[in-house]
Amino acid sequence: MLAALRCCGPRSFPAAFYEAIPAWSPWLVPSRGRKSRYDPPAKSKASRLKVPPPVDPAELYVVTERYRQHRLVLSALRALLLGSSIFRSEVVQRKREAQRDAEDSAALSEEHRLLMAWNDAENARQRARREERIRKEEEERKMQKLQAAENKAKLMEAFLKEKEKEVLQLQEEAKTFITPENLEARIEECLDNPRNYNFAIDKEGRIVKRTALS
Amino acid sequence: MVQLGSALLKGYRGGHVVIRFALGGCTNRPFYRIVAAHSKRARDGKYLEQLGCLDPLPNAHGEKVAGLNLERLRHWLGCGAQLSRPAEKLLGLAGFLPLHPMTITNAERLRRRRRRAQESDAPPAEGGSQEPSAAV
Repeated sequence: MLAALRCCGPRSFPAAFYEAIPAWSPWLVPSRGRKSRYDPPAKSKASRLKVPPPVDPAELYVVTERYRQHRLVLSALRALLLGSSIFRSEVVQRKREAQRDAEDSAALSEEHRLLMAWNDAENARQRARREERIRKEEEERKMQKLQAAENKAKLMEAFLKEKEKEVLQLQEEAKTFITPENLEARIEECLDNPRNYNFAIDKEGRIVKRTALS
Repeated sequence: MVQLGSALLKGYRGGHVVIRFALGGCTNRPFYRIVAAHSKRARDGKYLEQLGCLDPLPNAHGEKVAGLNLERLRHWLGCGAQLSRPAEKLLGLAGFLPLHPMTITNAERLRRRRRRAQESDAPPAEGGSQEPSAAV
């Protein structure tokens, strides 16, 4: 298809016909034809010097200026169209609302005022209840904390008392301990006072000195 | 019956609405439809709305005929649609948008070339008419 297009390419038609065709017509052949991008260029093109197309600086300046103006105008048009299309529905809605409000605005505003007042009263009532509840909860919590502290203090006191008792008892017992100083005296004492452990004990714990055998 | 239509619809990332030409017609007979479509769609693929058409080949009276739906064009431009270069040029020529700079530039170049061609034709004719008089 590309070869067929190429045979009726730019060379075969007169220049005037070529000028008259706009840039976007399918008569212009694409630059990459029979070869793919990986095929090497031909030997006849070895000495070819690729030169960019010549540019007239005056014309370039004029064209840049024209582009700038054109883009400015286009952006302004776009902004205008954007405004008119997006906000059109909102503007229409607002118009309708204004119309409706203008019809019976007094009654509506009165009703609105009453409703708002009732709403405010409800809010105040709920707020009072809520604050009451919160206050009660706070007090509860404080009471509980105090109770807990008291309990803890009591427990500590009891514990301390127990320990005191034990310490005193130990101190009492310490008077009867055998120390290196008492050692000699206590040994003498034990030797002087022999104790007789030759007794039995019944189930109630009474000592029985006399047995059946004797 | 399980409805899977929405799951089969093509979803794109990015892209924007573009007003451009979709090529139709047959071999050696092009025909363009001016179309508002997603920029990532194929040139002749599914479009959002057709806004007009253009016949690039001149008719019996030497005119190139195009049809445009200006109301919907305004709507799409207001929705933020971009324009392709040929679409811009066409709308410039139609008067809906200002003329594209390259239209003016190409017209100037053509005029200059024609004037130069005329001048190059005229002096040889004058030179040719003067030479015989000089020779004589």
